[in-house]
Amino acid sequence: MEIFFQQLANGLTVGSIYALIALGYTMVYGILKLINFAHGDLAVLGAFIGLTVITSLTGAGAAPSHWVVILAFVVAVLVVAIAGVLLELTAYRPLRHAHRLSAVVSALGASMLLENGIMLIWSPQTLTFPEGILPSTNYVIGGVVLNSTQILIVAISFLLMLALYLYVNKTRFGTAIRASAIDQDAARLMGINVNRVIVSVFILGPALGAIGGLFIGIYYRQAVFDMGWIYGLNAFIAAIIGGIGNIPGAMLGGLLLGLFNSLAGGYISSTWQEAITFALLILILLVRPTGILGERVAEKV
Amino acid sequence: MKKLTSTWAGLLLWVLGLLLVPLFADNNWIFIMSYFAIYAVVSLSQDVVLGRAGMYDMGHAVYFGIGAYTTAILNTQYGVPILWTLPIAVVVSALFGALLSAPIVKLRGDYLLVATIGFNEIFHMALVNDVGGITGGPDGIYGIEAPSLFGHQIMSQGGIFVLNWILLGIVLLLMNNLENSRLGRVFRYLKEDELAATTLGVNARYYKILAFALGAGIAGAAGTLFTSLLQSVSPGAFVFTESVTLFAIVIVGGQASIPGVLLGAVLMFVVPQVFRDLAEYRYFVFGLAMIVIMVLRPQGILPRRRRLE
Repeated sequence: MEIFFQQLANGLTVGSIYALIALGYTMVYGILKLINFAHGDLAVLGAFIGLTVITSLTGAGAAPSHWVVILAFVVAVLVVAIAGVLLELTAYRPLRHAHRLSAVVSALGASMLLENGIMLIWSPQTLTFPEGILPSTNYVIGGVVLNSTQILIVAISFLLMLALYLYVNKTRFGTAIRASAIDQDAARLMGINVNRVIVSVFILGPALGAIGGLFIGIYYRQAVFDMGWIYGLNAFIAAIIGGIGNIPGAMLGGLLLGLFNSLAGGYISSTWQEAITFALLILILLVRPTGILGERVAEKV
Repeated sequence: MKKLTSTWAGLLLWVLGLLLVPLFADNNWIFIMSYFAIYAVVSLSQDVVLGRAGMYDMGHAVYFGIGAYTTAILNTQYGVPILWTLPIAVVVSALFGALLSAPIVKLRGDYLLVATIGFNEIFHMALVNDVGGITGGPDGIYGIEAPSLFGHQIMSQGGIFVLNWILLGIVLLLMNNLENSRLGRVFRYLKEDELAATTLGVNARYYKILAFALGAGIAGAAGTLFTSLLQSVSPGAFVFTESVTLFAIVIVGGQASIPGVLLGAVLMFVVPQVFRDLAEYRYFVFGLAMIVIMVLRPQGILPRRRRLE
């Protein structure tokens, strides 16, 4: 039973990171019906930028100060959001009215470009994150080890998701985002600047993704240039599980997938973990392709 | 008339390649052209599913890999000569194509795409984890024989090149026939308007599975030749990135366009072989090129000509 709760705690941590990244996929898909294959790599870019800020402002062996850590998150979020907007303007917007697959290939190209750009700028090797970026104290509750880093990651992720949920559901601009996802033409007729909405989605999604990527680096204490696609795919699967285009769905899907992966890795097989994840995905696609909470996308004709 | 001349031009190019490459090129170039022939066949088979039947298959490397491993296992474990494994590889790959696609062809575009990515990942993990103790794990399978014809082993690069080039010729002929056949038209209707095709009495599910089986079978044949060219197989050649490259070849070259797909295969597989010194920039440049080409030519570089019918 202790093992079960331990896996539960780990799964919840990873799941909330998946959920953060999944939000970027689901928002872009909701409006553009495009799988933004580069999103996972944007998250990794966030991890590398954050790491660079931390290591360049912290002396060797010393623990990074709070201000440095906050600055790392701010810089990562800003740079990745800018990269997201640039991506939209250069690689996706010109293809808005082209065949869907042209945009898909452009997205795949953007993913390769980013992944290998990260490799060329930083390193083809795995980089290690220093200790003590987030406070790391172990609490033992009934035999289950809870780390304060885990607790912080889950808490911050929940706060961010709550903020996004409120922003999308309770503000004027959030209403515009939801309207554009349902029917772009009708939204345009109502005076909504759909292009601005799309740019805003390419700010919000990558910003959350950058935080997710940095969390991955901090939690596993390492980052490698090509980890974007496996975390990206997991996050995308999470978005599908919850129902693509559905923001609460992405949150739920992320948490469920994190728990599922953790329990499957712990109880069934760790060498087959990814295959089990994909088997689950295919099963869900066959049984309930619209996800648990239902997809929220208009069929693009 | 114009159609006819382009077919003749293609035939002429094929014959010239067959004659000139083994005679005048050095071993390195002969190897590159053999390699091209194999990947051209795989790309054309991807095009059957993606460009002709319009299904977003992003796991095509699976069928290529099944063909390659079928040959490798039959040859090393049971001593079956390479060329005898070719029809078996075609059948096994086609069967897998039909079996794997049967439950998922009903899925809408992007969901089908994600499901096929899933297949590719599961397949790759199965190879790495050495399922059934027959795939050789992460190292793959070594020591595969050279193909032999009438008891005579084809050892020279030139001989292997001719063999691969002949398969490419056969597949090109097949594609040309598919283009003008009833089956090709059914695929096209399904791609353009599935609802209309169904109301005209087309059994969509049957033909979609058939498209997968056909594409998989052709990819399986290429897998056999791939194994005999390298005389080894390993899981790395059948990863998701390879499927992405095949997918991109069809879209970048031009869907359902034979010259387009061949050009795409040249760009993605021949060019990197020539610039091997710059290998670390390969995918960076690919990525950039994919974006730029799509933005400038969303229909592909050599799109299919719209025939006046």
